[in-house]
Parts: sequence; structure tokens; C-alpha cells
Amino acid sequence: MAVAEDRRRITFRLVVLQVGAVVVFAALATSFWFLQIAQNQKFEQMAENNHQRTLALRAPRGVLFDRQGKVLVENRNAYSISIVREHTKDLDRTMRLLSQVAGLDPVDVKRIVDRHRGEPAYRPIVVVEDASLAQVAAITARRLDFELPDVVVEEVPTRRYPTDALAAHLFGYVGQASDTQVGDGISQGAIIGQSGVERVYNKLLMGQDGAKVVVVNSMGREIRTIDEVPPVEGRRVQMTIDYDLQKAAEDGFHSAGFNGAALIMDPRNGEILSYVSLPAYDPNAFAAGIDRATWASLNTDKLHPLQNRGIQGRYSPGSTFKIVVAAAALEEGAITPDFTVNCTGGATFYGRYYKCWNKNGHHVVDLRHALEQSCNVYFYTIGNMLGVDKIHKWAERLGVAGKTGIDLPNEQESLVPSTEWKLQRTGEKWYAGETISVAIGQGQVSVTPAGMAKMIATVANGGTPVTPHVIRAVDEGQGWKMVGPPVIADQIAFRPDTMTAIRDGLWMVVNGAGTGGRARIPGRDVSGKTGTAQVISNEGKLRARGSGLDLRDHGWFVFFAPRDNPEIAGVIFAEHAEHGALGAPIAKHVIETYFAKKEGTPLPTLVPKIAPSGADEEDPDSPAVLPSTNLDNQIAANPAPAPNLRAAARTLAPGTN
Amino acid sequence: MFERRLYYHIDWAMLAALMALSAIGLANIYSATGGPTPIFTTQIYGIILGLIAMVVCLSLDYRALADKSHFIYIGVVGLLLYVLIFGVVRGGSRRWIDLGPFNLQPSEFAKAALALVLAKFFGESRRGGAVTHVELLIAGALTAVPLLIIARQPDLGTAVTLVPVAFAVAYVAGMPMRIFGVLALVGLLAAPVAWKFALQDYQRERISTFLDPSQDAKGAGYQQIQARITVGSGGLWGKGFTHGTQGQLRFLPVAHNDFIFSVLSEEHGFVGVLVALGLYLFVILRAIESARLAKDRLGAYLVLGVLASFAFQVCYNITMSAGLAPVKGLTLPLMSYGGSSMIATLAGFGLILNVRMRRFTN
Repeated sequence: MAVAEDRRRITFRLVVLQVGAVVVFAALATSFWFLQIAQNQKFEQMAENNHQRTLALRAPRGVLFDRQGKVLVENRNAYSISIVREHTKDLDRTMRLLSQVAGLDPVDVKRIVDRHRGEPAYRPIVVVEDASLAQVAAITARRLDFELPDVVVEEVPTRRYPTDALAAHLFGYVGQASDTQVGDGISQGAIIGQSGVERVYNKLLMGQDGAKVVVVNSMGREIRTIDEVPPVEGRRVQMTIDYDLQKAAEDGFHSAGFNGAALIMDPRNGEILSYVSLPAYDPNAFAAGIDRATWASLNTDKLHPLQNRGIQGRYSPGSTFKIVVAAAALEEGAITPDFTVNCTGGATFYGRYYKCWNKNGHHVVDLRHALEQSCNVYFYTIGNMLGVDKIHKWAERLGVAGKTGIDLPNEQESLVPSTEWKLQRTGEKWYAGETISVAIGQGQVSVTPAGMAKMIATVANGGTPVTPHVIRAVDEGQGWKMVGPPVIADQIAFRPDTMTAIRDGLWMVVNGAGTGGRARIPGRDVSGKTGTAQVISNEGKLRARGSGLDLRDHGWFVFFAPRDNPEIAGVIFAEHAEHGALGAPIAKHVIETYFAKKEGTPLPTLVPKIAPSGADEEDPDSPAVLPSTNLDNQIAANPAPAPNLRAAARTLAPGTN
Repeated sequence: MFERRLYYHIDWAMLAALMALSAIGLANIYSATGGPTPIFTTQIYGIILGLIAMVVCLSLDYRALADKSHFIYIGVVGLLLYVLIFGVVRGGSRRWIDLGPFNLQPSEFAKAALALVLAKFFGESRRGGAVTHVELLIAGALTAVPLLIIARQPDLGTAVTLVPVAFAVAYVAGMPMRIFGVLALVGLLAAPVAWKFALQDYQRERISTFLDPSQDAKGAGYQQIQARITVGSGGLWGKGFTHGTQGQLRFLPVAHNDFIFSVLSEEHGFVGVLVALGLYLFVILRAIESARLAKDRLGAYLVLGVLASFAFQVCYNITMSAGLAPVKGLTLPLMSYGGSSMIATLAGFGLILNVRMRRFTN
């Protein structure tokens, strides 16, 4: 009985267990149904995110060529080192080990990582943009040991610029797109042109980044590629630059020891053959992300190497502006080339005495000789006859007022005053007396070297204001396609006598008794004009003595060659050269190189540096040899408010050549 | 010794299910480890040795074995003590005896030994009717000795599998239900105390991570999240043999071991899961059936004792494989990689088959 009872209880309890087992397994099956069927899509997505990674393949930027097809800017492969945090268990350990292996400062690494901490974990944090081969070797060795599984080394196409910072401001530099630049085909983290041609023609040069979908394992290691869209290289672009002329101009500056700017153009179409701005920076330093220290030193450098002097520096044009005044007077019919003025070393206008640089006077001079001798009194006279608005009008027509329209970013406007400008600016009317200093390129006149280049090219070609430009052709994929020169808005032709008179005068500057003798090349008929831009008034110079600032005057030289049917024109702006004449040898070297190339003769070598000790007795460019204007006299003569006065005083003071 | 008549009473269906599960496990180990690696061949040896152990356990009458159960029990406890002192340390715990090509894990055999000794104890010491408190205390003590030694290794997972053995045997032996109630209450009250004093830091972490895996998505929660993704992404038909991404690309940790069922779920989908679950359920129901058919109480208790730890581990591991239970070093019997586990499991089923086979003998 008891046995039967016992048996029954056992049986009952076993059935309970069986039912229990069925219930438990049914519950398990239901759970799996929930995960695998009901929520399958969600988990499938998560699994995919786990093991698929889309990597950007950076497109190489378009190669830049010079006008003869010589490669100027190309690409190289750089190695970047990044941390992908996705599967990182201990980020501190990774950073520590990476710093140690790659020889980095742990503080820097931490700062970089901290800056990107908020981004999605799968996005690589680039720690080293342009790693050395030693670093790459050290890291790949560790990676294989699975010590640094979350560190990725990638090959990235990176810009390679000429090593000697050649034409740095022209090329510009590239850098990561800032937040405001993102959009319109530019994605987060893209490398885009930030300056120079790189920036203006970024769309052409940038190319199209590709993408690669890869399978990675739990260590983040790539196993295989699922899909790949190869990157499209940027367009090849041919520049108007001639490498040899570029080199010649820069060599000229280096050899003379000057900083400054130069634009050498073909006056017939505005193509820039050479574009110089010194001191320069090394664009290669930006190519793979510039480091803080270099950036800081570039920004704090007293010489402002980041400033693109050719289009951003504004200086008083000094005597080179006399060309504009001469053209204006002739074209307006105010004078003929034979109009003469008797220079006695100075003249009085509106109750005030204005000096000529030559206190003995130039006696009776016509326009040609006035240009050759740079006679101030002659230009005071015709400037006074014209009035400031006519001067402004012709400055604008010749391209030396406003912007030139050059295809480089952030061009500054050249400034030549007018009555309207003054009214708008200060609310005051223009005093006729102010015109006198404007007539010799002083006063409020402040121009960029690019403006001067456009002016001299326009004068050289007989009155067509060609727009300076740096791009010649683009390869859109079917070979070179010429890019037409910019449309000329306002075609003007000089009257023949205007043309010959100015050409004669400028020819005499170089080949006669003028100040440009250093640019003379027998048989080439170089024509030009020197000028001096005072950095500070003579008065201010006295005050600033001992401050350590370089206060020596800037020198200008504008030129074209040959005199008839010019093929080359340009401007040399030499900072603190003191004499405009000292820029002339640089021009000479460039012109000689130009003709040697054209005629297939050996390129000239540069003559050793000339000591800027005023060896040329007849050089009137130095304000030092001139009597300084009495500041008190000027204040008495001119009732304008003090700030304006000071400006007038400052610019009038040199009053030379 | 092995009568021809017995041969006809072998439960071939269960044996086939066991072999099918072992083969499924083997295939998934192959997939998870990436081919015929040493791990794969070791598992084959494990199955062969397991079958030999099964035959040995079959050929001896379970009553004869039960008569010697106290020796077996003492022997196993001795081995456990030996391991505790001289065992091979791996992964921070001391569980193995180094036998050259094999590392033997005695704790796996403790389950069968405990089942034997408890079956014998309850099958013989009582007169029928309800079990007494004294008997329960003795049974508790018999369970506690190996449990505590294993827990000291430390291997809490395996130690815990001894508890179902004791409960299952006591349950079919007629332990009053109110004692279960009391024990459950005590367990509930003791839990906070155990949390504070008995658990290691890493164990506490695992449990708290289970409750909120995202709080430690890179650490302990990682395995759980990945397990769920692995299972969930399998879908109905799975990604195909050796075509899983989670297991193949090692997002899933210890895929060939603790998470072998996740690998199966990913590569063979819900269909594969149902097949495996069905086989396990069949084995369990069939074993309980064997207990019902057993000739004597000893046989029934023995079957339940052996089955209890098996069923417990199967359920827990599968739940864990889906990321639905805290991650614990509990393998899936018959499928997970592990020689000792395979041998001990098959030997245990040798005892179950033994009981069924000998249901008509005297």
C-alpha cells in the first residue's frame, strides 16, 4: 500500500517536472522568437554596425602645372595615425602606449583626443597627421602584437608644394574645413583650400572623395572589402605662371635681401607670369595639418609672413603714380605732351609752398622730361589743373583704384581719393590743396602692388585694362581646355600721342638720365618708373628712433619691355629698400630671363647683391637727401582736423621724385 | 555481465538525440573556431572518451554502483581537495588536474557522484513515506561539502549546479512542499547578505551589469549586449554555417565555449534554435520518463539527480546565450567545448540509460 502510494507520488511529481520542463522550454522558444523574429531587424542593424565600417578615401587634389607644363604642386602619400575608440576598453592605456611607441607628448595626445571625445566612437581621431616612417613602423609592429588594436595607420594623399616656399601666397594652402565651410559638397573633416589658388579653385582641385565599406573584426581590424567607390582626383590645372620667371623674381629678392611683392604679367592678356610675396611661409607645413607652434609663430612674426603683400598690402605709390596723372592729363586734354612747366625747385599752391625733390629745380620741362626727371612741380601743376576727381577717374580706368579682379582671395582695394570719397568718409569737402600731394602719389593714395601691376600693364598695352589672372587651362578629363581671360569691362584706347609720350618718358627713366638705369638692358628698351613710399613721416621717424622698428622707406619699380609692343610688364615692390631704384635690378633679372627663354639662350645668372648705400648719385628716391617739410607750416596752411592733417603731413613730407 | 537481453532495452532514441546534440555542438565549434583547430579535435576526443565512459557506466548495474557510491563520493571529494591545492590555475581559478594532453576538471564529475550518493541515501535509508528533517540535513551536508570546495576554487557556476541535484532527488523522494517554501523564503532573505559578504566583486559586477548592460557597455555588459545582437541578428533561417558575423569576427566572446548556443542561433536562426531546443527537451522528457519506468526508487532518484544538473545548465546557458541572464562561466552540456564536461555528461547519461535498461532485471 505504502509502496503503491509512494509510486503514485513519485509519478505525480515526475509529471509535474515534465510539465515544468515543457513550460520552461516553451518560454525559451518564445524568448528566441522575440529576439530572432520580432526584433530581428533591429539586431541585424546592430550586427551590421558592429562589423561594417565605411571609410572615406580621400581624393588627391588636382595637380598644378606652370604654363610650360612643369609640375608646381602635386601630391604625396602621407601616413596618418588615428585612434578608433569603438572597441577600446581602456582609452588611457591606449593613449599612453601610443605616445610611448610613437614618441609623442602624452599631454598633446590627450588634448587632441579630448577635443574629439564627443564625436561618434567609430570616427577615427587623427593623432598624427603626417607620421614619420619610423613612427609608422613602430606602430604597425605593435599592432601585430595586438597591443594597439584600436590604433589605425592610414595612407592619405597630401599636398606637396615646392620645398623653397616658392610662390607660397599664390598657391595658398589647404586645411580642414571649418564648421562654417561645411556644406555645398564639402563634408565634415574635408581638406579644402584655405588660401590662394587652392581656395579660389577649390571646387576644381578638390576632386571627389571615395568610400570603402569594409568588414572589421572585434579588434577593429579590416578583414575584407565589401564595396568600394574609388576617389576621383581633382582637375589638373595649368597656371599662367612661368616657373623660371617665378624663380628669377624670387631669386632677385633673396639676392637683394628684400622682402616685398612682385607681379610680372603679360600686358597683352593679363596673364601673371610671376607672383611674389615675401617673406613667405612653407605651405607644406599646412598640408597635413599645421601644428600649434608653427601656426602661432607665423601669426606673431613681426614680418607678417601670412600677409599676401601682392594683393593685401597697401602702400603709398609715390612717384610711380605720376604715370596715372600724366595719362589722365593727356587723355582729358588738359595738356599736350609739349606742355611745359618751369621748375624752380618748388611752387606755391593755395598759399602753401610745395618743394620739388631737386631744390635747384629742373627748369623748363615737358611731359617726357618731367617723367624722366620725376619733376614734382610739373605734376603738382598738371594735377592741380585736372582736379582730384579726374585723377581718380583715370586711376580707376587704369586699374589702380578699387580691386583688380585678380583670381586670388581677399584682395584689398587700392585707394585713390575723390571728393565723393572724402565726403562719404569724413563728411567734409575736398580741399583743392589736397590734390597737390595726390598728384605725386602721396596724400591719401594707397595702392596694392596688384593695382600697380594692372596699371602698368594697361599703360603698356595702350589702354586696355587687362585683369590679372593666374589660371590658364583646366583639364576636365578630355585634355587641356583653355580658360579665357577675364572679360574686360571698360575698353579704352589711349590717343597715339598719349601713348608715345608716356612710353618715351618711361623709356628715358631707364635709358636716359632717369632713376631706373639699373634695369637697363641694351636692345630691350626697358621702360619704367621708380617710386618711394614712406613708411612714416620724417617727424615720426625722429620720434620712433630706437624703437627697433624698420622705418626705412619702401621702393617701387614699375616697368614694361620692350617699349613698343610690350610683352612683359610688372611691378617690383621692395620693402624698406629705401630707393625705388633698388628694385630695378630684380626687374632686370626677370626681363633678361624672359627674353633668354623666349630666344632659347641660356638663362642669366644673378649678379651679386648691390650694396644699398646710395651709390647712385643721381638717385632722387631717398627722402633722406631731401629737405623735410615743415610740419608746422602745413598745419597752418591746412585747416583740416588733426587726424587728417597728420596723414597729409606724413605723406606730403617725402615729396620726392 | 552485459546480458544480450539488456541490449534490446537500451534507449536508442535518447542515445540518438544525445549524439545529434554532440554533433551540432561539434559543428558549431568548428564554425566558431574557424576550422579543424586543436579545439575541434580535442572535442572529438572528448566525445569518444565520453562514449567509452558511457559504456562503462552502462555495463555495471547501477545498484552495484550505488552500493559503492560512498567510495566514489569520497574519491571525488578527495580529487576536489587535491585540485584546490595542486590544480592548474587558469583564468584566476584552480579547477584542473594536468593529465598531459588533457586537463581533467573533477568538479564536472562531482555532479554524478553526488547524484549517486544522494540516490543511494534516499533510496535505502528510509522506510517510505515522507522524508525526515534529519535525512534532509544529511543530504544537505552531503551536497554542501563538494559545493563549498568547488566554490573555493573559485567556480561558483559549477558549484551552484549541485544545488538542483540535491533538490531534484529530495523532491522526488517526497520532500514536503512547505520545506521548499521555507527554503525559498530563507534564500530570499539571505540574498542581500550573500550579496554583501559571499560574492566576489566581479560576481557582483556581473549581476548588476545584467540588470543594466549599458552601464558597462565596454566591460561585462559587452558580452551580454553582443550575445543579444548575435542571437537577434540570426533571424528565421540564420546567416548560414560559418557565415555568422558576430561569432566569426569575434564580437562574441568565448564563442566556442559559453556562447556556443549564440553561434548556433546566429548561423542557423530560429529554426536551428527550435531543433536544438527540441532535442534537449526530448532528452529531458525521455529521462524523466526513464525515472518513472525505473524498477526501484534508487533508479528514479539517480536519474533525477543526474538529470537535474544537466537540465539546469542547459536552461541557464541557453538563457544566457540570448543575453537574458547574467554572464556566468556555465557551459552548455553536450555542445560547449570541454572534454571533462563531455565525458561527465555522457557518463551521467550512461547511468540514466542504465536505469532504463535494467528496469526489468532483478
